[in-house]
Amino acid sequence: MRRAGFGLRSQVIVLSSFLLLLPWLGYEYVWEMEKYLRKGQEKTLVGTTRALATALHERPKLFDSQASFLEQVVKGRDLYAYNINGPIKLDGQFNEWQLYRPLFWSYDQHYLHPANLDHHGNDLSFSHMVGKFERHLYAVFEVQDDHLFYRPANSLSVTRNDHLKIAFQSEVGELKTYIIAPKNDGWITAYDEMDLRPTPQIQGHFQHTAQGYNIELRLPLTMLGKKLGFAIVDWDGKDQTVKTMSTSNLNDLNQLGSVLVPSPEIERIVKGMGHSGSRIWVVDNHHRVLAQSGDIKHADGVWANSLEDAKQSKSWWESIEHTYLHPLYYLILTRPADEFIDETYDNAALEGPHIRAALSGQAHSHWRLTPDKKAVILSAAYPIWIDDQVMGAVIAEETTNGVRSIRNKALEKLFTVILAVMLIGTLTLFFFATRISSRIRRLRDLAEQAIDPQGRVLGDIESSQAGDEIGDLSRSFANIVGRLGGYTHYLENMSSRLSHELRTPVAVVRSSLESLQLDELNTEQKKYVERASEGVSRLNKIITTMSEATRLEQSIAHADRQRFDLTHVMSGCMQGYQFTYPQQAFTLDICKQSIELDGVPEFIAQLLDKIISNALEFATPETPIAVSLSENDKHALLVISNYGPALPEKIGEHIFDSMVSVRTQAMQKQPHLGLGLYIARLICDFHHGKIMARNTEHGVEMSLTLPKI
Amino acid sequence: MKHIAIVEDETAIRENYSEMLSKQGYQVSGYCDRISAELAFTEKLPDLAIVDIGLGDEIDGGFTLCQTLRGLSKTLPIIFLTARDSEIDTVCGLRMGADDYLTKDISLPHLAARIAALFRRMAALEVPVVAENIINRGPLKIDANRMQVSWHDHTIDLTITEFWMVHALAQRPGHVKSRNDLMSDAKIFVDDSTITSHVKRIRKKFIKVDADFNCIDTIYGMGYRWEHS
Repeated sequence: MRRAGFGLRSQVIVLSSFLLLLPWLGYEYVWEMEKYLRKGQEKTLVGTTRALATALHERPKLFDSQASFLEQVVKGRDLYAYNINGPIKLDGQFNEWQLYRPLFWSYDQHYLHPANLDHHGNDLSFSHMVGKFERHLYAVFEVQDDHLFYRPANSLSVTRNDHLKIAFQSEVGELKTYIIAPKNDGWITAYDEMDLRPTPQIQGHFQHTAQGYNIELRLPLTMLGKKLGFAIVDWDGKDQTVKTMSTSNLNDLNQLGSVLVPSPEIERIVKGMGHSGSRIWVVDNHHRVLAQSGDIKHADGVWANSLEDAKQSKSWWESIEHTYLHPLYYLILTRPADEFIDETYDNAALEGPHIRAALSGQAHSHWRLTPDKKAVILSAAYPIWIDDQVMGAVIAEETTNGVRSIRNKALEKLFTVILAVMLIGTLTLFFFATRISSRIRRLRDLAEQAIDPQGRVLGDIESSQAGDEIGDLSRSFANIVGRLGGYTHYLENMSSRLSHELRTPVAVVRSSLESLQLDELNTEQKKYVERASEGVSRLNKIITTMSEATRLEQSIAHADRQRFDLTHVMSGCMQGYQFTYPQQAFTLDICKQSIELDGVPEFIAQLLDKIISNALEFATPETPIAVSLSENDKHALLVISNYGPALPEKIGEHIFDSMVSVRTQAMQKQPHLGLGLYIARLICDFHHGKIMARNTEHGVEMSLTLPKI
Repeated sequence: MKHIAIVEDETAIRENYSEMLSKQGYQVSGYCDRISAELAFTEKLPDLAIVDIGLGDEIDGGFTLCQTLRGLSKTLPIIFLTARDSEIDTVCGLRMGADDYLTKDISLPHLAARIAALFRRMAALEVPVVAENIINRGPLKIDANRMQVSWHDHTIDLTITEFWMVHALAQRPGHVKSRNDLMSDAKIFVDDSTITSHVKRIRKKFIKVDADFNCIDTIYGMGYRWEHS
């Protein structure tokens, strides 16, 4: 009765899948940790900015006094000298400026003087930016001009042609204007507008293009004060209006736009902070960068240093981790990218909520994702105070790569541990379940083997010594089987015990009757005494039959096996039966060759007696009993069949049990206890054979298989 | 007058047998347990003892008593008369030196016949052998009076039942005796397997003397015959 189903083992494995929650828990935990680390990083970064701001408080010299009084700076009018990272070759080609293209400011009709709203850009417009490299201020102009007028070679005037006008406040505070009017492409000379003296400090290059012309120039920062403006003057001929497009009003010092050159002093202070592992900016209150240091690609935050991989040779375990486990983990985790693209900033107007907050006097930090989503950048800003006024802010930026690396490291370790725990846990559970289920299976097998298909108890279950419930179950099984065995034994011995117990009273009755018979009795008395004697001898017969099985069991226990010829025994017996029951027809089919068996021939004869007498009893009158003996490789086959009533369907193998009889009342001519076939089975078992009964079309067939030697 | 002692704890049986044997002209004394029997026997031995194995509380009291009796006399005929018919008890009882082992379902006439036979044998042992009473079947000699059998001049020690069986078989060699025939000849009423074990015991006793003994043939389905090759 086995039902294949969801075994213990599978159940335990399913239960152990709860272990899969471990990585999730671990992940949650590490996530929390990361949050704290980020908080810490935020605080640290704010601390960095505060420290730097502390160095900058109350140092008005560092700040552009001009610009700070402006209500606002206007892009285009107020110029900002961007920091240029490399030397610029003055050649009229803008190769070095390609990086800074987005920072070029375009000047169109709005900057035109005299104003003309119908002005077309092709006629005159320009893009322009100023930059600072080392000690020079560089300026570049990409002018669109459909008619390029060079200064004629012999012209004394510098203004009756297309020219560039430069105006700035000198260091001493006066307005200086310069004109650049090239006679041809190439190096340019700037003339002081006042006295038309060439000014060699201002160098540059003029180069005409398809749309107009390009001008690259530079002037030493030492000449420059706080204000600067440029104007491109388009001369298209004597009759044409001279069009001037300027960054601000170059004629009035007060209206001249300011220029901001990143402050070298602040830069020096900030440079010292460049080792802090963050990118640092100092901005003025107009969001313009006064100084910067550090590179965001290397700004991993304070955690980065602790994570430097020791480049020693790895242990075998680490290399296993590295080769097999990490690829697995990094299907889920992401490594912080070393390469990512941060937005390019317009240093003339750094933006961000943290900067706005800092410029309004609040320290603030802020997270953002790089546009390529590869890194998260943490920015913190802290205001710089001068005379209770916010004059600028210090901004520090770091990527969270450090924290993420720490998190990854933690998760790697955690995953390894969890994997190990899961593996060991699952294996342990699996083995445990296997052991339990195998023990239960063994117990089941034992229990099934303890009782044969006919329900007879075959033997005891070996009770286990284990102290757990299964051991307990096995012990109670053993107990049950023991008791059942005892009971079965009691039942099987019932007949012998009964016969033994009955013998004495029967002997009493018998001897008393015999004593009576010795006396002189009248006929009436004789009749009764005879009847009683008859009854007693029948009782005697019953008692004898009852103990036959027991005696057989005993003699089986002490039997000496011998080799004998089954054919010989069979034919002898059959002759005997034919002689004993002359009225019964037998159809014999007994093979001629001898079949050697190991056992006791007398038992076999006894077995035959039982089966034949059984067949005789059930056989329909005038029908033959068929007896056949054949052999195959290993067994002798003996079949005895008779015509007659069929066996009840339900009785099955129980026909061979002790005290089972299926005789109808009508057949009970003789005492019958159902021991005959039980004896047959005992003998069959002794010879390691099998006996079976089955219904045929017209009757019953008993078949025996006995193993040959 | 021969004196028979019956040691039997079942009063009805003891008295039935006592009365019956008294009618046959024996002097009978009955004992219900081993102690009283032993006390009486130490004073005076009976001529024959009929002993039950289970005596009251003593399961094997009869065996003990038998040993005591054999200690007192080598020749005193002892018959076990018991309800126990197991092979082991039978073998045990005969080893103790009993002359016969009977189950209680034996009829009184049969019992009487045995007792008479035993007394006859006792008497015959005291007189010289009479040649007419000896049946010779080759190496087998049967003295019907003394109830003695010898094989190649070796005496085979047989119980009365066994003797009667050998006697029945050897009287007409070559003739098959069915189990029922043997039963009636041996004046017992038992089942087939008991006869089989009797025959086996007889064979063993002969084989002890002569390893090549094979004169008792089993004819399966029929019975046994004495076949002197």
